[in-house]
This record gives sequence, structure tokens and C-alpha cells, in this order.
Amino acid sequence: MLRIGIDVGGTHTDAILLQGGSVLAAAKALTSRDVSSGILDALEEILRHEAGIEQRIEAVMLGTTQFTNAVVERRELAEVAAVRIGLPSGRGIPPKTGWPEDISRSLGDHVYQLHGGYLYDGWPLAALDEREIESLIGDLKARKLTAVAIASAFSPMNPEPEKQVARRIREALPHVRITESHRIGQLGILERENAALLNAGLLEFAARVVDSFESAIRARGLGCRFFISQNDGCLMDADFARRFPALTFASGPTNSLRGACKLSGLSEAIVVDIGGTTSDIGVLRDGFPRESNIVIDVGGVRTNFRMPDILSIGLGGGSLVSEGGRTVGPLSVGCELVTRGRVFGGDELTATDIAVAAGHAEIGDPERLGGLDADTVAAAGAEIHRMLNAGIEQMKPGSAPLPVVLVGGGAILVREPLAVASTMLTPEYSGVANAIGAAIARIGGEAERMISYERIPRQDAIRELTLAAKRNAESAGADPASLLVADIEETAISYMPGNVVRLRVKVTGDIARRKEGEGGQYQPRAASSSRAAQTGGEAEL
Amino acid sequence: MKLNAESLPDLSSGAVFLATGGGGDPHVSLLAARQVLAEHGGVELIPVDELDDEAFVAAIGSVGAPTTSLELLPSTDDPAKALAIFEEHMGRKLDAVVSFEIGGGNSLIPLIAAAGRGIPVVDGDGMGRALPEAQMMTYPIAGIPSTPAIALDYLGNTATFATDSTDTYERHIRAMAQAMGGMITTVEHPMSGKQLKSSVVPGTVSFATEIGRILRQRRGNARRILAPLREVFARSLYGEPIHLFTGKVADYSSAIIGGYDIGKAIIETFHGSGPKLEIEVKNEYLLARIDGQVAASVPDLIAILDFETSTPINAERLRYGQRVTVLGIGCPAFYRRQKALARVSPRCFGFDIDYTPLEDLTAHHQPLLAG
Repeated sequence: MLRIGIDVGGTHTDAILLQGGSVLAAAKALTSRDVSSGILDALEEILRHEAGIEQRIEAVMLGTTQFTNAVVERRELAEVAAVRIGLPSGRGIPPKTGWPEDISRSLGDHVYQLHGGYLYDGWPLAALDEREIESLIGDLKARKLTAVAIASAFSPMNPEPEKQVARRIREALPHVRITESHRIGQLGILERENAALLNAGLLEFAARVVDSFESAIRARGLGCRFFISQNDGCLMDADFARRFPALTFASGPTNSLRGACKLSGLSEAIVVDIGGTTSDIGVLRDGFPRESNIVIDVGGVRTNFRMPDILSIGLGGGSLVSEGGRTVGPLSVGCELVTRGRVFGGDELTATDIAVAAGHAEIGDPERLGGLDADTVAAAGAEIHRMLNAGIEQMKPGSAPLPVVLVGGGAILVREPLAVASTMLTPEYSGVANAIGAAIARIGGEAERMISYERIPRQDAIRELTLAAKRNAESAGADPASLLVADIEETAISYMPGNVVRLRVKVTGDIARRKEGEGGQYQPRAASSSRAAQTGGEAEL
Repeated sequence: MKLNAESLPDLSSGAVFLATGGGGDPHVSLLAARQVLAEHGGVELIPVDELDDEAFVAAIGSVGAPTTSLELLPSTDDPAKALAIFEEHMGRKLDAVVSFEIGGGNSLIPLIAAAGRGIPVVDGDGMGRALPEAQMMTYPIAGIPSTPAIALDYLGNTATFATDSTDTYERHIRAMAQAMGGMITTVEHPMSGKQLKSSVVPGTVSFATEIGRILRQRRGNARRILAPLREVFARSLYGEPIHLFTGKVADYSSAIIGGYDIGKAIIETFHGSGPKLEIEVKNEYLLARIDGQVAASVPDLIAILDFETSTPINAERLRYGQRVTVLGIGCPAFYRRQKALARVSPRCFGFDIDYTPLEDLTAHHQPLLAG
């Protein structure tokens, strides 16, 4: 099938045209302020590949760092009412405690703590208080707030209080956008609440940006399905992205890893994305990024999003090389490489200069490297390889050497096989790996239930949930024949008798081909909303 | 010496290092302590030997399963409220408070309480680390009765305890913790300044702060941090930090059982081949075995650090796939005496082994590779 992958980064917008496994065309444009004209520029170039090809394109997948950047740069964030349901616990530690001043201010001073929530053993922490809900709604009205984030204690085990308060707000103020924390995070109320707050703050921007993504694509005559990629390598449709923009955080590294997988044809490999300042090392396992589980800061705010396990080391094309070449990085001239690097006429000795001096790359003017001694070049070259080897060694899942795939502009720094690599490749189109990763992102479906293994044998329960997850993925637009189980997660609920676990099954599959006679405007309802729909409370099989 | 909000991050991270996995999530307590200390202009930290022999002191902290603290948040006014309830119960004002354990969140709760009541906090604690049960504290081991004691829950419900032994007291507070939401604040072990001097592990609040400062200033992997850490420990009551293992968390499972977090972690080398380290958890990291051979055991300390930054990781934050370095540290001499080992040896936790000091187990430790 014919599809388009787009990567809207902070600086560049890349687009690729993909047919089955092969790249037909690739383009790079500058990201525009309005986002859409950058997309149009890149689209224009790849669609030139063949006249009238628009009609045959079956899907457009877009990856973006717009939402991550908005949080990091504290722009485009709406004021949000932060509603925590957990009193009388947590007095004196209101939502946003410990946030950096600037981002806390961006979301405004609208903090509410209500009675309610549950305890670890399912006992109510406190009852919801009708008057508190009324007064919250009155306040939202008076302050003309349009975004709300709600988090209640132990909501991953019992989300009822979040749902009830959200329902009440919706009834009174239908225009208000609400993020319920149980839809976006796991155990750890502060991190989950933070994720919900960032998401709620982005909702208005998301509506605008996703609209402009969509209108750019439609304006160019593409009436096909349109998806946005999320941090776990799966796709969401435009409607879901409007509601959960925070799920795009870290989709950049995910797409880069997935793109490297596609370009190299390898599903078990180390991927090293060498940029100007850092090298990001990730691991492909079964063709997907290995995930990290530590608490991750997004723009200084603690969250618990599932993100790819990336080791960033301070080595890139702009890394500064010390006297004699003994150290390389972590300081870097970054994007000023093209003015400050020696081959570009500057005064700083950078890793790129070393690569050029070693005859491994042809960039800039090698004449400007006169006087650089061979020992320095050799020492810096050895240090670059030592750093990469050490980083890869830490990330490698086993003792056997693994293939290493190099992507990103800094791949020229590597001039000899790395000792830890069984093979090393820098595939064609590795500069647009992110757009390719977006183009091949999969459709996911999840199902989650509380189950007593004493009542339902474990294997039966897994089989049943797998079927439910597959149904969800299929209705979200996945090809049923391609569905594979991606993850099975069991959490023991120790307080309940009868060996009770919370079982979650996730399946992913390729996007289904458009059926005969189906209109170009086909839009699946939600590629991933199955997560939300199925994350029920106490339902048991 | 005055402790203020600025000194708390170092204290908290050093206390997680000494906590051997337990003591509760320090992040929430740190947020609470920062606010309370900022509000009250800090808290007085009093060295053990400056405490009056006639002073009236009690120990304060949280009891329960640390995982609970991820969802059931503490309240900033609870610790001071607990002290007030205790004073009313005893009919006497406290002159100072002291920590149960210099571990995780529990290292900060006495500060929050003392600041709120305007009294000093003693520079020392009752464990020199974190341990899961009351009878394992130095105070009862030295013969100080645990009760009268009080417990306060998140709702403001209280319970009072008058028991004939610390074992009984432990059973009672554990049952109350389970019934009161999984995590309670208790004030216990009322004692005189003189009694405290004979039982406390001295200097641990300032020592934890010093460890935290090293972890921050020398942030980096074990190769970078081990030498400066050893310098600091050489001037302490503890033994030398010893590298046990470096690798990836290959498996970790835990559950809240009987009011504790019970679990087991398996750590493999980065290569995946070679020896494996297995760690038994009951709130704290209690026993480390490398391919079945004991590498370190309670009461010696086992610290799990993030490989890249050497940030100590509490058990409730330990996750599959994390890259970690595991260190062992000899406990203070108090815990190696027979009377203390009767309370805290591996057998007290149901492991069928005798305690062997960490320094006698070096044959089983993995070398810290250079490069």
C-alpha cells in the first residue's frame, strides 16, 4: 500500500512516500510558524513523484515534537483547573507542588482539592462532597476556565470519583475540556496528575495544531485516513490526538528507532541517532523500542509516561574536542556548527572536524584544518569510538554482539566498526528515519480487567483478553491478520482474596488496506481509545 | 545548627542511600518538608551530646507499606498534630523529637513535626538505616519501652497503644496501619535525654546530608562516586562502601502483603550472561545473593543506585530494565552485637542463614570494571 510519513520537528518538516517496503521519495522543508505551510512544502515535493498519485495514497501518518516543545518552551499552554480528589489526605501538598515556577504560572493559579478517592484496599478514602463539586463548577464558570485535569487517589484501581466529577462538570459546562488522570497514567498520583495537567494545558493547542495538520493534508488533495504517532510506536487518529496530545511526548525517539528498524530490516538491533550535541542510543526488541520505566521529567515536570529507554551521551557532530584529542564533548557548539566548526571557518575544534581530518567525511573546507596533528585526530577518533562502545555496552540486552544501525547527521563520526557491533550499517534515507518511523507506526488495541485466577485459569484469561484487545485494534483500523500480542502486564492486587490480578493485554498490527468501495474520507473513530474504553474499574471476567 | 528548606534535597537523597530501599517515597515528604521549613524558618538540629539528660524525647515516623505513599499523600500538618496528640496523651510537653529511621521519607517527618511545634530535632536515629519493624530499632534493643505510643491516620483518627513488649506493639501498629489506609504516623518510644544517648545512632541526619552532597556534587556512575563516598564513610560509624554488582534489573515483582511491600529483584550483567544478583525485599533490601552465594545481608546496608547518576533507588521505584549499581556497606557496630543481631539477623526475616559481616564476603562480590 502507498502511504506518506511526515515528521514535524522544531526545525525541519520531513516527508516520505512509502510503497510497501520501499521509499519512493523523500523531502525536507523548514517547519513554518503556522505548521501547515511547512507540511505543504514537503508534501508538494514528494507528490511530484507521480502525477495524480494523491488518489492512491491510503494513509498519512504524522509524528511531531510540537507538543513536547510547547511544554519545554512554556508556550501555547492554556490555563488549567487542577482538581485533585483525595482530601483529607495530601493537605498542604496541592497539585503543582514542586513544579518549576514558569510552567506552573503558565497553567494559572487554579488549584482545587476535593474529598474523595479510594484506599489501597478498595475502601473509600472519603465520600465525594456535593457542595465542593458545586463550588468547583461555580469557580470554573466565574474564572471562565476551559480546561480541567482531574486526579483521584488510587484511580488506576478505581476511577469512579474521577468519572463522576468529570460528568458533573460536563453537564454544567459542556464546552470545558477535561483530562481524567486514569486515562493517561499509572500508580503514583503526583506523576499521573502532572501528566493529566500537561495534557489538559495542551488541549486547546492540540485542537488547533491537529486541525492545521489535517487541513494541510486535505488541502493537498489527500482524502485518506490520517493518524498521529504516539510514544509507544502506535498510531492514534486525529480525534484521539486532540484529546491526548501528551501521548506524543517522546514519539520522536520512538519514530527514529522504528524508522531504523524499517530501513535496516533488523528487528533486534542497537540504534544510535547521532545529532549535533548528543547521541541517543536505543534498543530495538522485536522491532519495537525497549521501554524505560523510570520517572521522566518533561520540561521539569515529573511524569510516568511509557517512553523508549534512551541513553543520551554527550557526543555529536558539534562536540568540542579538547587539547590533544583526549576528550570529546559533552560541550557542543550545537546548531552553530556551521559557523563555529573549523571546516566551516570557525575557531572551535569539533568532532566533525576530526571526521573530516581523518578523511571520513567531506564537509566544509578541509584546508582550514592545517596544523591539526595526526595524533590529535587519532586520539579523538579513538575517544569517539570508546564513548559509543561504552554507551552501547550499557544498553545492549545480551552478551552477544548486536547489529548497530546509525541514523542522524552525525553518523559520519563513526569511521570503523564498533567493537560491540556484529555489523554496522548506515542505511540510505537514515536522515529521514523519523518520518519513516511515523509511516510504519502500528495500530494498537488494549484490554484490561481485574481477574481472579482462582475463578478463571490464567491461560484462559489471557486468551479472552487478547481477543478483546484484537477486537479493539480491528475497530481502530488494524489489519486483523497482522495482529500480534505486544505486551502482557499483570499486577497483583494483594488485598483481594482469590489471587486477583489486574491483567492488561496489548496487541498491535499493521494498518488495514482500504476496502473496495470505501470512500476516501474514511475515519476510524479512535485508533487507541480502546485503552480508555477498556480501562474499567472492578469488572471481572 | 539550623536546617532549612535548602538543605533538604541533600538530606533526602542521602537518606534514600541509607534507607536500603525502604523508608517510603522521599519525593512527597520532601515536597511537604520544604514547605513547612520555609514557613517556619527552618528547624534546629541538636547534636546528641548537647541534649539535656532530663529532656523528654520521643520518636516519630510513618509505618506501613511504602507503595501506599504513591497514592495516599501525607498532609503537611499531620506530624505536628501527632506530636500534640502524644503530648496530650502523656500530659507532658516534648523537648525534642528523634527519627525512627534515617531512611527515605521517614528521615524528613521528624523535621516537619519539630518545625511545626517549634522544638529541635535530634541529629541521630534509631536504625542508622531503614528496617521494617519496631523491635528492630536501637531504642527497644537498648531496653527502652515502645509505649505509650499513639498513631494518627490521614482522616485524623487516632489510636493509643500500651503494650507489654515491642513485639506486641509491632503487631498492633501493623494491624492499625493496614486498617487505617496502609500508612500511619506514629509517635512512640518516650525517653529521657539520658536514655536516648545510650541507644541512638548518633549524627546520622548530618551524615545523610553529607552523603547527599557528595551524590549531587560528584554525580556520575560508581567509578566516579565510589572513592569520594569511601572518604566520607571512613569518618563515620559505618563500614566502607563495597561494590557488589552492576547490571540491569531483569525482573522485579512486589505486592502489598500483611502491611509490607514484599518482593524480589533479579539483576543481570549488562551482557545478560554471567552471574546474577538476587535481592530479597521486605520494605527494605534485606539479602543479596550472587548465584546463590550471600553477598550482603541485613543488618549490613544494601544500596541500589541508578547506574548513570548514582541516584539511590527506593524499592517502590525499582523497575524492570533499570541499569543499576548495587553497593554493600557495613552497618554501625551497634547492630553487630549479639543482642542486636537477635533482632535483625537474616533469621529474623525467615532466611535460613546466619549473619556474616560484609567484609568477610568479598570473595562473592563482582569487581567494578574500569572503562
